[in-house]
Amino acid sequence: MKNRFITFIFAAVALAMPALAQTAQLPVSSPIEKELAARASEATEITLDKKMLSLASRVMDGKDTYDDATRQLIENLDGIYIRNYEFDKEGLFTAEQVEQLRKNYETGEWSSLVRNRDRKTGESSDIMVKLVNGESHGLFILNVEPKEISMVLVLGPVQMSDLKKVKSIVKGTVKGRGGAEKSIPTKGKSRP
Amino acid sequence: MAHDWQPDFEQLVDEHQSMVFSLALRMTGDRGLAEEIAQDVFLEFDRRLGKMESADHARFWLRRVAMSRSVDALRRRQTRGTDRWVEMEDHHGIHAEERTSPLGARLEQLLATLPEPQRAALVLRYQEELTPEEIAAALEAPLATVKSHLQRGLKLLRAKAAIHLKEFVREKECVRGV
Amino acid sequence: MEFEPLDDFEEKLKRSFERWPAPPELKRRLMENRRRRKERPRWFALPREVLVAVSLSLGVGVFAALYSGIASYQHEQQREGEAARQQVLTALRITDHALDNINKQLAAHGRASQE
Repeated sequence: MKNRFITFIFAAVALAMPALAQTAQLPVSSPIEKELAARASEATEITLDKKMLSLASRVMDGKDTYDDATRQLIENLDGIYIRNYEFDKEGLFTAEQVEQLRKNYETGEWSSLVRNRDRKTGESSDIMVKLVNGESHGLFILNVEPKEISMVLVLGPVQMSDLKKVKSIVKGTVKGRGGAEKSIPTKGKSRP
Repeated sequence: MAHDWQPDFEQLVDEHQSMVFSLALRMTGDRGLAEEIAQDVFLEFDRRLGKMESADHARFWLRRVAMSRSVDALRRRQTRGTDRWVEMEDHHGIHAEERTSPLGARLEQLLATLPEPQRAALVLRYQEELTPEEIAAALEAPLATVKSHLQRGLKLLRAKAAIHLKEFVREKECVRGV
Repeated sequence: MEFEPLDDFEEKLKRSFERWPAPPELKRRLMENRRRRKERPRWFALPREVLVAVSLSLGVGVFAALYSGIASYQHEQQREGEAARQQVLTALRITDHALDNINKQLAAHGRASQE
């Protein structure tokens, strides 16, 4: 079932063609994000513009397979914007706040690929792709759980195989510097 | 009015370099950055040596400026696209194998996941054993704010430790006042 | 101010948060910088010959400073690159986690629809 879902996403993103050479702007932290961060027991906020992605690519010098794969994944991107908030208990954020996060991507440029709402639990999922003249310029993912909000924005050309690569990089084994093997910790194991 | 205390720079470096370096290291989690911060702090200290009135004044100044520079470095790092709350897989600062106690190493890692104001308060409380009033002076923050950061930070750290270490179980329901 | 005694967890924190020893080169570099700064004479008090020698060596000094500046810049770039790399890996991890959660939600939705 997971494969079917991923396949569905690939099919949708298969509209992506090599993007025009436009550099999109990453968003600025909104007041809503600050509110959520203040209430979260753990907040992860990552903003990587093209310059930072380029810096990261340069040190991924291909000494291991996964560095190579990661570099290929990011080298053409314009930016990555991640906001992840974990809460001690349910009820620490509202549907209105989630709607504020989502509304910037409910414009004509963004097409919804996945839209799921569970009114009983408050869980929701959105996956949107930014299409300009039929070409993919970005991907937006918003996942809302009772005690967690994950927001992922990737700007730039997102190719069909990219999402599968994410899983293989994260779930696979990465050789650290010096050859020692280590795994990138999964969320359940590493996050306190 | 001239003061009687004659500061000896080298002796003060010997006495306080560990404090300054440790504060910077625990705040930033980056050994290289902590060294740079410590260098900057002591160079500035040297320029102002003539204005130090006593040993206590020197210690207070070093502590306050070390914290201030560390917080600035953290915020600069955040602006440039790195995040101070994220656990780094390659931890540039505190290496677990350098500690004899795995518990200590784990608590260091958990500390690094706390928001900056809570981390600052806890580091000054448990590394430097300062009172809340002294912490407020060092951070130039209101006392009530410091107490709140201490309480929330300790609660959060305790909760994280309980999940990860399974050995800290608070028997009492109420939060201990600090 | 009188403190309440620390509980067991706080005692462990206190023990764990002992100060780290400063690296030996910290003091060495500080004292070296200090010594150089104090030995530096005022330029207008120097004999003419020294001024000339200083001027001639200035070119070499500028080159050395540029070289060292470039090396320092490269070191800083490497450090920033490593930090950015870690950020990228974490971003991927969070993305994967979000996609997993979405999968689960959709699977649950699918099961509910069939019931």
